[in-house]
Amino acid sequence: MTISAPRYGSTSSERLGRTRRVLAIVRRELRRRAGWGTVAAVALAFVSVAAVVIVDAEFASLTRTLRLTTLEAPFESPIWPLLLLLVATSAGAGALAEDAGNRSIVLYLSRPIRLLDYVGAKAIACGTWILIAAAGPPLTAVLILTLLGVVPTSIAVSAALGYLAVGLLATIFLTGVALSLSSLTSRPLYAGVGIFGVVLSLFIGAAAVAAITGNLYVPYASPVTLLRSVGIGVFGGPSTPETDPATSAAVLAIAGAVLGAFAAWRASRVEVVSE
Amino acid sequence: MTTGVVEAQELTKRYGEVLGLNRFTSSITGGITGLVGPNGAGKSTLFRLLAGQLKADAGTLTLLGHPAWGEGEFRRHVGYCPEHSALYEGLTGEAFVTTLLRVDGFSRAEAEERALRAIETVGLTEARGRRLRTYSKGMRQRVKIAQSIAHDPELILLDEPLNGVDPVGRSTLTELLETLQKAGRHIVVSSHVLYEVERLTDQIIMISNGRALAQGDLHRIRALIDAHPHVIDLETGNPRTVARFLGEWDHVTAIEFPGPGRLRVRCRAPEEFYRALPPLVVRERLDIRSLTSADDNLDAVFRYLSEGGR
Repeated sequence: MTISAPRYGSTSSERLGRTRRVLAIVRRELRRRAGWGTVAAVALAFVSVAAVVIVDAEFASLTRTLRLTTLEAPFESPIWPLLLLLVATSAGAGALAEDAGNRSIVLYLSRPIRLLDYVGAKAIACGTWILIAAAGPPLTAVLILTLLGVVPTSIAVSAALGYLAVGLLATIFLTGVALSLSSLTSRPLYAGVGIFGVVLSLFIGAAAVAAITGNLYVPYASPVTLLRSVGIGVFGGPSTPETDPATSAAVLAIAGAVLGAFAAWRASRVEVVSE
Repeated sequence: MTTGVVEAQELTKRYGEVLGLNRFTSSITGGITGLVGPNGAGKSTLFRLLAGQLKADAGTLTLLGHPAWGEGEFRRHVGYCPEHSALYEGLTGEAFVTTLLRVDGFSRAEAEERALRAIETVGLTEARGRRLRTYSKGMRQRVKIAQSIAHDPELILLDEPLNGVDPVGRSTLTELLETLQKAGRHIVVSSHVLYEVERLTDQIIMISNGRALAQGDLHRIRALIDAHPHVIDLETGNPRTVARFLGEWDHVTAIEFPGPGRLRVRCRAPEEFYRALPPLVVRERLDIRSLTSADDNLDAVFRYLSEGGR
C-alpha cells in the first residue's frame, strides 16, 4: 500500500442543512439496526398479527357480525405488545450502547451535529422499526381485507387510524425504553437484556401483584397492559380494558418522553462514558 | 483577544480526584504542532477537550476562535482522529468515511467522491470495500486519518496517529502530514514516542502531569535547559588524557568512563563546550573519533524538563 499526496477540491463546497445531516444518520442507523433479529421479529409480527386480524374479520364477515370492534383482535392478547418488545430490544439495544462501546460516538459528536440531533436520529431509526412492527401488520391486514371486500371502507379507515394511533403510542414508549437503557451501558447485550427484562418483569410482576392484592392501580405499572388497554379503548371493546385507556395512553406517552429525555441527558454525559 | 489556531488558558479538567489537565496554558499558532508527553500526561484529555468531547472544569479553550465545548458549525473546519478505535466494525472503509462526510453535510455524490480521495490518500484504495473488522491496526489508523482529512478541514487533530502503524506507514504518513501542512492546514499531533514528533516538527508543546512544561521551537526549548547538565559522549583513543584537559573547564561538571575508549562529559554550557573543543583538539593533538550528544534527542529534553526543569 502506498500513501499519496492529498488532492483537495474546493474548500467552499456547499454543505447540506441540519435536517439532511440528521437524515444521513437516520438512514445509516436504519440499515445498521436491520439485523436478523430485528427483521425476524418484524416478520413474526407481520405474520402473526396480520393472520389474527384477517381470520377474525373473515369469520365475523361470514357470521355478519363484522364491526370496528372486531378489528381489535391484536390487543386481545399480550402477544402483540410482546412482539413489539422483541423488535424494540433488537433494534434499540445497540442504538447508543454500540456507539459508546466502540467509541464511534466520539467521531459523530466531533462533527457539526448537535447532541439532540444525534439522539433524535437514533430515536427515529429505532422508532421506525418499532412503528413498522406496530402498525404495519394490522394496516396491511386491513388493506387486504378492504381489497377483498371483506371490510367496508368506512370501518377500514377508522381501524387504520386506530392502529396508527396505538402504534405511534407504542413506538414512543418503547423507543424511550430502548434508548434510555441503551444509554446506560456500552454493551448492546446488556441493554437488550435490560429492555426485554424490565418490560417483561413489569408485565409479569404487575399481573401477579394485582392478582394477589386486588389493587386496581397496580396494572398501570405494566406497559403491556397499558398498550392493550389503549388498543381496546380505541376500538371500543368488546374486551374490557384492565386500565383506563385515556390514563394508560397518558402514562405511556409521558413515560416515553421522560425516558427519551433521560437518554439524551445520558448521551450528553458521554465524557464520562468515554473515560 | 485570541489569535492562535488553538488557545488554552488555565485549562483544568478533573476526573474525580485525578487531575487530567492542571491549569494548562498554551497557544498554537499554526503549521504542525507536536504535543509530547508520556502516557497519562494529559494529551488525550486535551484532545477530547479540543474535539468537544469533554467540558473543562475551569479555564478557556478556543479553536479557530470558537469555544471548544458545545455544538457548533465551526466543527466542519476541524478534523479529529481519536487515539482509540472508533469504528463501526460492520461498515466497509469506504462506507465509514462516506457516512461521516454525510454527517458533515456533504451531498451523497460529493461524500462518496471525497471518501474515495481520502482513502486513496492514506493508501487504502484496495481495501476500501472490506469491512472494518478485517482491518489491521495500522489500516484502522489510516482509515481514521482518512475520515479526519476527507472534509478538507482547516485544523486537524491527530491523537497518537502513528500508534500501530508499521515503519513504512509511519514514514509515508509523516510525508502526508508535511504535505497537508504545505497545503495550509494546521495540524496538532500527539505522541508519547518522542522521535516521531521530532521528525514531524520543531514546534512542540511538552506536557506532563496535565501541565505544559514548555512550548515553542525545539531548539528554544533546548536553550531552556542549558542550566542543567548536558551529556556528551566522546570516543577517543586516550580517554584519560582528554578527561584531564576537559576537567579543567569550569562548565564541565562531571566526567565518566562508561567503557573502553569512551568518555561521558556532563557540562552546564554546551555551546561553550562545542566552541572550545575543536581548538583544544588541534592544539593538543587529541585523538577524538566521535562526538555525540544524547541530549539532541527530544527524549532527553523531555526528561530534563519533567524531572529537573520544573
